[in-house]
Amino acid sequence: MNSDFARRFRRNTGAVIGLFVLLVVGLLALLAPLLAGNDPWDMVQQPFLAPMAEPGLWLGTDALGRDVAAGLIHGARVSILIGLVATAAALLAGITVGALAGYHGGWVDVVLMRFTELFQAIPGFAFAVVLVAIFQPSVESIVAAIALVSWPPVARLVRSEFMSLRQREFVQAALLAGQTHWRIIFTQILPNAVSPIVVMGSLMVATAILLESALSFLGLGDPNMMSWGYMVGAARTALRQAWWIAVFPGLAIALTVLALNLVGEGLSDGLNTRLQGRTR
Amino acid sequence: MHINRRTAIAHSAAIMGWLAAGIPITAAAQQKKVLNIALFPEPNSLVAGAGSTGPAQTVVGNLYDCLLRFDENLKAQPQLATEWSTSADQLTYTFQLKKGVKWHDGKPFTADDVVFTFDKFLRHYQPRVRIAMGSVESVKAVDPHTVVFKLHTPFPAFLTLMDASSSPIVPRHQLADADLTKPLTVPPVGTGPFKLKEWQRGAFIHLEKNTDYHMAGLPAIDNVYWHIIPDAASRAAAFESGKVDVLPGGTAEYFDVARLAKLPGVEVTTKGWEKFSPFAWLWMNHRNPLFQNLKLRQAVLHAIDRPAMAKVIWHGYATPATGPFNQRTPFYTSKTTQYPRDTAKARKLLEEAGYKGETIRLLPLPFGETWTRMAEMVRLNLTQAGFKVETVSADLPGTISRQSNWDFDLTFTFVYQSGDPAVGVARSYVSSEINKGSPFNNVGGYSNPKVDELFAQGAREPNPTRRAALYAEVQAILADDAVAGWLLELNFPTVYRTKVTNLVSSAVGINDSLGRASIN
Amino acid sequence: MDKLAFIARRLLQGLAALLLIAVMNFMLVRAAPGDPATVMAGESGAADEVFLQQLRERFDLDKPLPAQLATYLGQLARLDLGTSYRQQAPVLDLILERLPATLLLTGSAFLLSLAMGVALGVWASTQVGTWKDSAISVLATLFYATPLYWLALLAVLVFAVWLPWLPAFGYQTVGGGHEGVARWLDIGHHLILPTLVLSMFYMAIYARMTRASMLEVASQDFVKTARAKGLPPGRVLRAHVLRNALLPVVTLAGLQAGAMVGGAVLIETVFAWPGIGRLLFDALTQRDYSLLLGTFLVTAALAVAFNVITDLVYTLVDPRIELS
Repeated sequence: MNSDFARRFRRNTGAVIGLFVLLVVGLLALLAPLLAGNDPWDMVQQPFLAPMAEPGLWLGTDALGRDVAAGLIHGARVSILIGLVATAAALLAGITVGALAGYHGGWVDVVLMRFTELFQAIPGFAFAVVLVAIFQPSVESIVAAIALVSWPPVARLVRSEFMSLRQREFVQAALLAGQTHWRIIFTQILPNAVSPIVVMGSLMVATAILLESALSFLGLGDPNMMSWGYMVGAARTALRQAWWIAVFPGLAIALTVLALNLVGEGLSDGLNTRLQGRTR
Repeated sequence: MHINRRTAIAHSAAIMGWLAAGIPITAAAQQKKVLNIALFPEPNSLVAGAGSTGPAQTVVGNLYDCLLRFDENLKAQPQLATEWSTSADQLTYTFQLKKGVKWHDGKPFTADDVVFTFDKFLRHYQPRVRIAMGSVESVKAVDPHTVVFKLHTPFPAFLTLMDASSSPIVPRHQLADADLTKPLTVPPVGTGPFKLKEWQRGAFIHLEKNTDYHMAGLPAIDNVYWHIIPDAASRAAAFESGKVDVLPGGTAEYFDVARLAKLPGVEVTTKGWEKFSPFAWLWMNHRNPLFQNLKLRQAVLHAIDRPAMAKVIWHGYATPATGPFNQRTPFYTSKTTQYPRDTAKARKLLEEAGYKGETIRLLPLPFGETWTRMAEMVRLNLTQAGFKVETVSADLPGTISRQSNWDFDLTFTFVYQSGDPAVGVARSYVSSEINKGSPFNNVGGYSNPKVDELFAQGAREPNPTRRAALYAEVQAILADDAVAGWLLELNFPTVYRTKVTNLVSSAVGINDSLGRASIN
Repeated sequence: MDKLAFIARRLLQGLAALLLIAVMNFMLVRAAPGDPATVMAGESGAADEVFLQQLRERFDLDKPLPAQLATYLGQLARLDLGTSYRQQAPVLDLILERLPATLLLTGSAFLLSLAMGVALGVWASTQVGTWKDSAISVLATLFYATPLYWLALLAVLVFAVWLPWLPAFGYQTVGGGHEGVARWLDIGHHLILPTLVLSMFYMAIYARMTRASMLEVASQDFVKTARAKGLPPGRVLRAHVLRNALLPVVTLAGLQAGAMVGGAVLIETVFAWPGIGRLLFDALTQRDYSLLLGTFLVTAALAVAFNVITDLVYTLVDPRIELS
């Protein structure tokens, strides 16, 4: 099974490239303090230095004379951290709701699905903006807002998976054998539903990173963390004199998100799942 | 001004737009002198008193005349008052009022309006006037053109309140019966050089010339359009493309000012702020045990690089502070303990203070990019000196709320010094001004009976030499006690096209100068 | 009759969703830290107890929450969204002023992205295996990954700063004084860049979805039958494949239309476009409760409306769908 997966994954060139990019970003995130010579918040030089104008500052400086390259490297940490944690939270919520709805069916299903539909009806980004602004921007509120906005599709996917798996023979057998519902959910059904969840999860990390960066761009980011979105936002008013402050962080976001999407597709191929039509 | 809903729907696209939406500039109109100014944020009201925000006051001062104006040396000039005198004991102020002045609705201006303004109207709306009226025993209209104030204690700062910074004169016949506890829905009616023609929310405010203005030949400008432009980059671009001719202080980011100044036909002036003298500092919350330690407070002051802040963040449009008084405030003295930047010394002081790395929450001002950078720089400087600082994020109402309720460790503020220490400075340091609910009083919570006493005496002392001595002493004490983290004296630049002449002719600048400005 | 019943039920569902959103919205804003009255008063620097109490009375802030909620819902039923304290104007008026700009922007972007996306997707599906097809897929993936606001900034940089072809921001030229046709042309000129940027992301989605849908439908039996019957390939394509392939795309577009309104906040911020997205953000930063509630509600209402319309159109258009 594993070598099958690896083979199918490897056939997708996009996915392989994506994986490589992700590894680079991950390394940057882990080794940030070692790699970046400067603290991203340090005012090390003249403001608005062009890239390559000074040795060692190969991406130039920003409005306060801070090292853009250092900001990029440290920003990787923030993006990945928030992306992973928010996705994990969303998955937790979505799986719980979807599993319960799909497994029990009946009125539980109806109630939970109405609840999910309600959440899905609210425009996601506007909702996230409202949430973060009201509860004041911080890592916690951002993660919570992203999770609250992202969980409905997970719930629907898990529900449909559960609904179809529920009818299978091994579940019937387990019921007859007297296993409790929870045991069945966790040990029988969930492991078989993992593949599409994993694929969806990887795509969700990408969306989470985009969401976080958009929030930071609007000024709703955690002020103690130098994130890529924040760098682009800070560059907005100085666009004319210093294009590099906006271009490089945005490039970093685009590449990371692209890589995650490609890897997600590769996983989808590799695990032989198809998400289309499952989330409606 | 409320927009009729049906009109809005019917002409929805037509009314749209935040810049000059639907302003017809016919051939004839182009002959008239039009001044386009950027303004942000939108005023909350254009009725004097109710219009309390900065931008509101900027417009209000051109709609409502006051008794006096102050020139750049803070010397009083006549406006609605032609002559004025103070008794020798400084307990009686007599104002002779100009004759033949009319309100925008045609009714005559008399001493009764002045009495109503001070005795009832501004007492409700203006804290500074309220405090001043605390020293006033009576204000009477001796005849239709003479007003006499009788004080029971001398208040040397009294005259400084008589201009657009604090007391626009309002019409008694319009407002005498208004319920001041509810929002005023009347149109603004003043005696100023301009009348309100139209206010399209989110778009512009249109003032037109008051043809019955009491000064012959003025105003030279026929129409003033205040354009509400929410975005700093858009404001700068509007100026650059010629759509707007004036960018008042605070409406453009500083690197834009530097860039615009280089364009042909453009001037930048820092004049027009002599009265307000904005002063930026860090409140230290004296209720926090950390800040009750003198050495820790001194460490904060030694940690901050004020010259770099003025140069990098304010692009030179700020002067490093030298003590608790702004250098332009009367009775300023430079003979106070100085705190030049010395990171090593700051570290040492921290150690001596017994600082164990407790986190200090820094609450920034959400007034735009410049203030965000200030917060980042302060956090950097403090961290370099060994502090552990965490920036808290809050929007404007949240920040004001926290400051008003003392929910912070360090926070920024900038306060107008208003031309006299009794009026502008005292409220920041005296015990009687320690009240929850306002971000503009003694938010830090410093309390020193000697300082209270000195400020109280200074407010009442008629002799200038003795006053100077009192204030010199209080400055020395405040500096020694490192009461607050004084940062910068702000010199807001006003950017304007050279075709506009005499744009700034008073110590409050554009706020009451448009009547005397002209366009070539 | 069946269809009418379905329509009625769907509409009711939409209304119920709106009601719940309104309640949740209301709760959210009240849950925010800070006493609204202090916040409002503190700004004008005149915060004494008397004034605070007046503010509380005026905005019903001193009554218990359920009473406040009841008042709020009652007002909503009368389409009264309250008054903005900060701007001293009825909230509904403020929103109606800004709504057309947002509708203009999102409407244009919706049509453009759908038209271009479908066209590209259809074309790509006929070029499977060639580099052209791969190129489109790559570009689509790229645009899908790019942050919208960054794309907007880049667009401004390239098309308004470096090559001064298009205006960098705004809805009209300041003080331009255009009337009639000239005015609409001016607005259109300003509309180009924001619309293009907003469309890119969705264009990518629709292109990919159309391509996939086309390929899937083309491989189905009834298409093979049509070909076997000898119908010319072009007609087969248009008549059968396209119509069936488009259905899921149109559905998706309808759902995305709602998201587009919410995402307009970013575009309106960068381009200083005077729409309700920007109004929402301003209301948030100013903690203007009435305006905030009203704007968020209208935004959500638009999204719900688009969803309902999409559902209805989809079911009415496709006779094979069972009404459940």
